[in-house]
Order: sequence, then structure tokens, then C-alpha cells
Amino acid sequence: MIFIGRPFAALRAGFPLLCLLVLAACQRTSRAEGRIVVIDDAGDTVRLAAPARRIVSLIPATTELLFGIGAGPVVVGRTSYCDYPPAAKKVPDLGDGIKPNIEAIVASQPDLVILYNSGQNAGVAGRLRELGIAAARVNTDALSSVTRVAHMLGTLTGHERAADSLATVFDTALASATLPAGPSRPKVLLLVWEQPPMTIGRGSFLNELLERAGGDNLFADVVETDGVVSIEAVAARKPDLIFTTAEGPSAFASRPEWQVVEAVREKRFLQVNGSQFNRPSPRAPFAIRELRAKMSRGRW
Amino acid sequence: MSAARVAALMLAVLSCLAVGLSAGAVAIPLSSVWAGLWHPGAEGSAIVRDLRAPRVILAFLVGGSLGICGAALQAMIRNPLAEPYLLGLSSGAGLGAVIAIATRAGGAWAVPVAAFIGAMSAVALVYRLSLVSGRRLDPHVLLLSGVVVGAFAGALMSAVMVLSDAPGVRNAFLWLLGGFGAASWRALGVFSVYACVPIALLVLHARSLDLIALGDEPAHHLGVEVDRVRRLVYVCTALLTAASVASCGIIGFVGLVVPHAVRIIFRPLHRSLLPTVFLVGGCFLVLADVVSRTAVRPLELPVGIVTALIGVPLFALLLRRTLA
Repeated sequence: MIFIGRPFAALRAGFPLLCLLVLAACQRTSRAEGRIVVIDDAGDTVRLAAPARRIVSLIPATTELLFGIGAGPVVVGRTSYCDYPPAAKKVPDLGDGIKPNIEAIVASQPDLVILYNSGQNAGVAGRLRELGIAAARVNTDALSSVTRVAHMLGTLTGHERAADSLATVFDTALASATLPAGPSRPKVLLLVWEQPPMTIGRGSFLNELLERAGGDNLFADVVETDGVVSIEAVAARKPDLIFTTAEGPSAFASRPEWQVVEAVREKRFLQVNGSQFNRPSPRAPFAIRELRAKMSRGRW
Repeated sequence: MSAARVAALMLAVLSCLAVGLSAGAVAIPLSSVWAGLWHPGAEGSAIVRDLRAPRVILAFLVGGSLGICGAALQAMIRNPLAEPYLLGLSSGAGLGAVIAIATRAGGAWAVPVAAFIGAMSAVALVYRLSLVSGRRLDPHVLLLSGVVVGAFAGALMSAVMVLSDAPGVRNAFLWLLGGFGAASWRALGVFSVYACVPIALLVLHARSLDLIALGDEPAHHLGVEVDRVRRLVYVCTALLTAASVASCGIIGFVGLVVPHAVRIIFRPLHRSLLPTVFLVGGCFLVLADVVSRTAVRPLELPVGIVTALIGVPLFALLLRRTLA
């Protein structure tokens, strides 16, 4: 019974998963006869004859992931904002990554360039392909992009197994860091800029971090990633806590018009520091735990 | 102007203020607004007393000031295109604000103060460039100097925005597009104390402006010290506009179109044009601010966008009806 039953159960449980994996592999990547083919997030086909050996990574999140899957030594160019891990800072800086300088990219002789999937970068990717350099455009806006992009980068660099284990560890850590839904969740204003007051809407990475840490975004009804709000709307919604970053607003708490907000009067601030809060990265579970710890210390 | 018109204007002003107080991100009925204004404990009182009341009054004063500045400049330069931001002031203010953000200048008042300093520097530069042959302020040279200084400051501002790696320097343009979100009793107090002198001086010189609008020669023969009045008008409008930029960013269109609209509808002389423009400009900006607060609730639209979106079609309609 044992010998017959187990493999059957395993097969029954595993078969749909296997099908999905095969399907996913067919859809996104295929690796045959030494050729690597990946469909990037812009829908373009990225082809490499062999795993990439010189990569320019123009997104802080992908630079971090490349180092995370052991492909750090092949990164030959990065953005000014790629500050993690510390070893990434030794890679030549090619600018802010928002308007990539094609000459600087070509001069670093890459065989693969990772670009953010923006309209502006469509032209850059096309130009690079004309010059014979593979370019992949990826979205790195949500927590779900961490494992998806890790797999993609794993395939492109030949570090599939490291990418798989990074993804497994990340998923487990994320699940254990996430606070189960409870009754008393603080309402948190995510204040990222003060003149004018700007907040973060529900379609953003910070919103995901906050919800997993057990807080509710005061402006979860804002669909856009960010937007200008009035102090009046903030006051009427009565936030329990106000989230700010070290680079963000600092002086609003002393301005007279903000004193209408009770959380400002009572100085219920939740200040965080560090790049784990501004990009989806393998460090996100730690960011969630940090938020949880700070919120449980708050007096809301 | 007839008594009926004065009464109608006053009624319009009061209704605009009432709408401004009751509309917003949170809808508060007029009865509660009234209770909230006088009784600190009432529901929504903090919002009405501490946020909306100073915001509405500031919007009214700024709208009125910009209107008066536009009317005075149009008469003084004898150019229908003249407006408060024509003379390089907006780019100067923008440059100041962007530098404050890029250098991470601290403090709650850093950006407005820097914008004010930027605007006044641009004004001083334009003024110095335009003083030809001694102390005569030539309107044509003034216009050209304004455009030149504005273009230069604008280029510097763009360069700072492109080169700076300060977080949020790209949000500077949102501040520049204008908004009354930062209004408070303190900001209102500073603005009103500061603005009453230039406004009074401009209104006092309304008759001279009427005469200058006829031409320098006739004005001179009728006893106007043209050069002195011109310098005074320039300094007053510059001070007023710089203060309004510092308190709420760059709100275009009010200063250009409200004076024209008032001239088309009421056809007054400057003596009554300036007060009328003040009231109409104030009402217009209060209503534009209401739209900016309510159109995309809970978000806010920069009020500078709203003034153009509402004002342009209105003005085009008015223009066609007068010409037809």
C-alpha cells in the first residue's frame, strides 16, 4: 500500500504543478542548443548565445537580485542608486538609469543590458539591439516581481538553481513575516513628499509592505501609485500613524496647518531609513518585520 | 459703477466664500460650516477653522492681487499681453524653489522663502536692465528684459532639475504649478500684512494709470509724472506677485484674463477697474481652488492647471461674443 499509494499521491499532487512549470517554461524561456531565449516584461524576445558574461543593470532592484543569485561578478555597470549590496558600489556608475546614456553603456562592452520597462527605454532597447547588444526591459514595482525577475535573471545568467533557491527562501521569509489579518490595524498615512503633500496609493510596493506588516494605507482608495492630497482629507480620515522616510518630508510636523491632524500633534510618526523600503528586493521580509516592530511600539 | 452692480459683486463674493468654505475633500454642509466657524467644539470645526477659512481667504487675496497686478501692468506697458509673470518673475521664483529643494535646505519655510528671493532677484535684474538713459523705465525694454531674464532663469532651473540627485527635485514642478494646500492663519497673516501696502499704492495711482494708458505724452501734459508712476507700478506689482508665488506657487492666467474680462463686461476706468478686478480675481481663484480640491477627490489638482482649464474656454466665449 505504502509503495503503491505514495508515488500515486505525489504524482497526483505534482502533476498540475509540473504542467504549470512546463507551460511557464515554454512561455517564458527555452534553452536549447546553447541558446537562451527569454520574453521580457515589455513582450520582447531576448536572445543570448550563452549565459551573459557582462551585464549592465540599470535598475537598483535588478542589481541587487543579480548579486543575490551569485551573478554579481558579471555586473559591469549600474545606476547611481544601486547601493546594495555594498559590493555593488564598486561597479562603475553609469548614471541615474532614467535616461540611459547609450555611449556609456556601449563603452562598458556588455552582452546584456537590463532596463526598467518604461516608454522612454523602448527606444534605448531598440538602439542597443541594433548595435548587437541584448536588452531586457523588466517591471520591478511589486513584491511579486522579486521571484519572477530572479527566475528571469537566473535563466539569462545561467544561475537558475541559485535563482530557484533565492525564490524559495524569499517566499518562505515573506510568508512568515506577513502578519495575519487581525482586528486592530492602524491606519497609516504614507507621506512621501510635503510640498505639496504626496502620498502613495494602493498600486505600489510600499502599500504592499504596509499591509503585510499589519497596517492599512490611509489612502488605499487612490489607484495611482502616488498623488497630491490635501491636509483636510488627511485630517478627516484620522490616521493613527504617519509614515515617512529619511529622504522624504521632515519639516511638515512643525508647520501650523498640519497641527489639525491629531497624529501630528501627538507626534505619532513612523520613520524608516534604508533602500529596502524603496525597491522590491530580497530584503522585503526584513522591511516588513521592521515596520511591524515599529508599529507595535507606536501608541496608536 | 451703479449701486446695483456693486451689490451684485458683493453678493457674488459672499457666495464664492461660502462655496469655498463648504466644499472640499470632505463635504461639510453650510449649516455645519457656520456652526464650525464659531464653535470650536463642533463637528468638522478644526477643518473649517484651521484649514479651509485661511485657505479660502488666501486664495481670494492672491486672486485679487494677481488680477490687480495684471490690470496695472497692462495699462503701464500698454500691452494687452502683459501679466504678472511676464517679467521673468515666475522663472526666478521657480529657480529659487528648485535650488532650495536640490540643496536639501531644511525648515518649513525654505521653499517659499527661496522662491521669494528668486523672484525678487529676477525683478531686480530686469529693472536694472530696463533703466535706459538715467532713471527712465522704457516699457519695450522692460518687456524684452523680462523675457530674456525669464528664459535664462528657466534654463538654469531645468539644468538644476536634470543634474540634481536630490530626491524629490522632480516634485518641484508640482509645487510650482500652484496650490493652497499649505495655507494657514500664519501664512495668511504674513501675506495680508505684506500685500496691503502695494495694493493700496496701486489703487491710489489708478487715475495716473488711466492717463498713461492713453499714451506717455498726453499723460505728461495732464500732469502725471510718467516715469515715477511707471517705476512705482513695476515695484508694487513685482512685490505682490513674488509674495503670491511664495505662498502658493505659480498660478497663471488670473492676472492675464481677469482684467480683460472685467474690461469687456463692465468697461470701467482704472479707478473702478482695479477694485472690480480685485473682487472678480479673488472669486475666480476661490472657485478654481474649489475645483482643484473636489475634482479628483481625495487627490488634489494643482490650481494653476484649473485656472487655465476653466478660464480659457470662458474667456474664449467672452471674446467671441464681444467681437461678434
